[in-house]
Amino acid sequence: MSIAVRSSWLRPERKTRKLLVRWLVALLVPVLVFNFAWTGEGIVNNVFLGLFAPKLTNYNYTLSNSIQGGLFILVFYAVITALAGYLTAADSGRRSNIEIWVGILFAVVVPLLLVIITGDLLIGFSLFAIVWGLYVVGRRYVLKVLHYTPPIALEHVETLDEEGQQRLLDRARSAGFWFATIFALITLVGDIIFFALGSLPTILLALVVARTIIFPLAGYFLGWLGGKMALRHALTTSTQAPINGAGAANARRWWVRGRKEQLEHLSSARAQEEAKDLVPNDTPLQSKGAWPFYLVLLGGFILFYPVLDAMLFGSGTNGRLSGYANLGYYIILALGLNVVVGFAGLLDLGYVAFFVIGTYSWAMIGSGQFTHLTQIVVNPQIWSWMFWPMLIIAALIAAAWGILLGAPTLRLRGDYLAIVTLGFGEIIPPFFLNLDKYTNGTNGIVGIYPPATPCIQGVFCVQWSSFNATPFYYLILALIVLCVFVNVRLRDSRLGRAWVAIREDEIAASSSGINLVNTKLFAFAAGAFFSGIAGVYHAAKLGTVAPSDFNPTDSFVYLSMVVIGGLGSIPGVIVGGVVVYALNEFILARLDTIAASPGNILYVIEHTIPNFTFGNVRNLLFGIILISIMLFRPEGLIPSARRRRELHHKKEDDIVELDALDEPVGAETLEAEMQVE
Amino acid sequence: MNSEQIEHEGIATAALKVDEPASLELRAVTKIFGGLKAVQGVDLVVKPREIVSIIGPNGAGKTTVFNLITGIYRPTTGDILLNGKSIVGHSPDKIVRGGITRTFQNIRLFNNMTVLENVLVGQHTQLKTGILGALFRPPRTLEEEEKARIRAIELLSFFGPELVARQEEYVMNLSYAERRRVEIARALAANPKIILLDEPTAGMNEAETLDAVKYILRLRDEIGLTILLIEHKLAVTMGISDRIAVLDYGQKIVEGLPEEVRRNERVIEAYLGKQGAESVDLSASEENN
Repeated sequence: MSIAVRSSWLRPERKTRKLLVRWLVALLVPVLVFNFAWTGEGIVNNVFLGLFAPKLTNYNYTLSNSIQGGLFILVFYAVITALAGYLTAADSGRRSNIEIWVGILFAVVVPLLLVIITGDLLIGFSLFAIVWGLYVVGRRYVLKVLHYTPPIALEHVETLDEEGQQRLLDRARSAGFWFATIFALITLVGDIIFFALGSLPTILLALVVARTIIFPLAGYFLGWLGGKMALRHALTTSTQAPINGAGAANARRWWVRGRKEQLEHLSSARAQEEAKDLVPNDTPLQSKGAWPFYLVLLGGFILFYPVLDAMLFGSGTNGRLSGYANLGYYIILALGLNVVVGFAGLLDLGYVAFFVIGTYSWAMIGSGQFTHLTQIVVNPQIWSWMFWPMLIIAALIAAAWGILLGAPTLRLRGDYLAIVTLGFGEIIPPFFLNLDKYTNGTNGIVGIYPPATPCIQGVFCVQWSSFNATPFYYLILALIVLCVFVNVRLRDSRLGRAWVAIREDEIAASSSGINLVNTKLFAFAAGAFFSGIAGVYHAAKLGTVAPSDFNPTDSFVYLSMVVIGGLGSIPGVIVGGVVVYALNEFILARLDTIAASPGNILYVIEHTIPNFTFGNVRNLLFGIILISIMLFRPEGLIPSARRRRELHHKKEDDIVELDALDEPVGAETLEAEMQVE
Repeated sequence: MNSEQIEHEGIATAALKVDEPASLELRAVTKIFGGLKAVQGVDLVVKPREIVSIIGPNGAGKTTVFNLITGIYRPTTGDILLNGKSIVGHSPDKIVRGGITRTFQNIRLFNNMTVLENVLVGQHTQLKTGILGALFRPPRTLEEEEKARIRAIELLSFFGPELVARQEEYVMNLSYAERRRVEIARALAANPKIILLDEPTAGMNEAETLDAVKYILRLRDEIGLTILLIEHKLAVTMGISDRIAVLDYGQKIVEGLPEEVRRNERVIEAYLGKQGAESVDLSASEENN
């Protein structure tokens, strides 16, 4: 195999060199920490040994485990290498190195170290959240003291011609190559040291040699990939806004040629948003082009988590997976509520009602209760297959109830609508409690069938039970992906636009031709649809259901997930769901257990203050945390761009006339109280 | 559409052209809010392709008339007819589908959406994609969305290239005059036959007012819209109206040609008060047109 040697490999041009150093340091440090401090190296070695010399490892490795572990490692290193290429290509280099290095240190190395120290993923991350909060505040203060002004957005926007694009690609390629080479050398040295110390089995030397050769080659191509990604977001001379169609010829007369000219017409607030998405730019880490890399990384981690958990933490995997699977359906509930509250702006305080409906749909049909009700005897093995159609059917039933419960609220505004929905949230759980004949009342329904999957003995047979959470974990992942997809499609459609219009200004929306009744009903129905899916899953996973499982106050938890995550923002509500649930179920619930071990700082706190246990103050802490988040970041953890503007809008300097003329003298105030009849 | 039809700035107008112009009639329309008679027994006829202005002091009930026509309020008594058919009791969106759109006195745009998105919302009634189309995005939906986008750009181009260039800007970052234009573009997006403009030149200086008058006339001349106007600047109303109706305390006190209204005593009294009404020519008391 011969590869043409470019001079750009060996001697990158000056600007590239500066950027290379910046990104090599920024990316190498966290990757090395992951490798040597926290089992990255360990996973590779164990996977290799698991495949070729199982007797030498401590873990019980199956073929599928090893392959999954191997895949994860492959994805991890490939993504990081390609990311190195992308970042070097995307960076315009105007911001300082220190900013980037400190930022990455805090964003990646600190959480890694915290997780290693605490030995628990979620506790580590929650401590990290506190540290991150302090870092942000500290950074703001430091920047103010130093009188730092960030460079002007879009100032350096350049269109890339053929030559410029080639230079970008070369830069990315050399970045990938050098990253991979240096990383391979460092791990080589590390492995030689381990070998000399005797802790590296000889067989692994084969892996070391292979890696040292393959890595730089892979880096060359992965860097090129990173460069290609960068080009997608670069302003090239051929970038014109695409128009086609009959009216295009005329529209084109007025079309400002080229994206660059368009951008020059934007206000500075808008320009800042756009600049982040263009290559080259000043914040490549946050640019739109870098996100696919992060998502692949995150996706790989989530997808292979059941296997990784065993490698990373040892025991207790099943319990953790079960917890995460429960978290999953909370996320779906948050996504559903996001449609009602986030997109359409209808304050729904009774969302738990739809969840109950969804849960009982499967509980009544997919269990002995079905025979009890209809006198039809069914074979549980076969009837379990009804789970899959019931996902959709229950969702549709919930949607129908959404329309039913939404109908009375349509003519109400804001607070009144909220109170009516609150009423429904209070009515429905007792409603199911008292329908003894159908729902078995307080005794609840037991023996609900789990889902059924094809079972080919020896090859592929999934055991759905409460002792094996892994299938449920993957099921909920698939359902979440589906729900996110549906959410995105709804948001970016004519219907989604109508929802935002209603949220912004109902009267203007109505006067633009939007049928308020239908659109609002659709919002309720779409929101309830998701809760139907979550309910069916919940019933199948838990196996039993009782009205006491459901609380009207749950609605507020779901609402807090949406608001804390970021109203209307899809990644936001997912993160919000994780944060609220993890906070409540994992972290606060376990503070007492942690405080039990002496030598821990929490132990001291618990024992110095009389009558104090963390269990007592759990809700207090939860409340305080929620309040703090709302005070410091009302737009949510990952706000949608719209929401951030709504809450932090700084008026442009060039609008002077606006406020003075908004209300002509004697304007009819009746308009403000209008009810649409 | 060929290049001969488009001789000057209007590009989209050929696409918007109203084929069957519409007429609007108000018969004895009365609206009572509790004890307040906001509008009393107003009769008004607006013939196709006419520009009719409603003027009157503040609080006379002009915007209430607009709200009655567009379905936001329901008349206590009386009838409103579009091309002879009653539209009383229709919801605002149904009235938009019937061909009447409006702009608002204090510009009600969707502030946190971009210019283009605002105009796209205006096209809501012209698009057909429902929830299934949104989910699965069949080719028909994609085509419809693309056409809608092009049409929105064309609508913006009615006012020239500036708004087209700023289509990705959030409307709250635009200047006042630009926001008025976006509102009109949004109203045009629904393919109306009749457009109601509520104080379209409020807050504008002379140059901007002249500009606004020009494009209001183009709305009638190029697109064939019937226009109902609320306006305070008498120079504007006298200049472009075919007929003027004057409201005071909810009642129509005068209706007629601009010249007639200008000299009418009751109108002068309503605007200037009894003492100021010493055979003063109303338009002379305004700035020159």
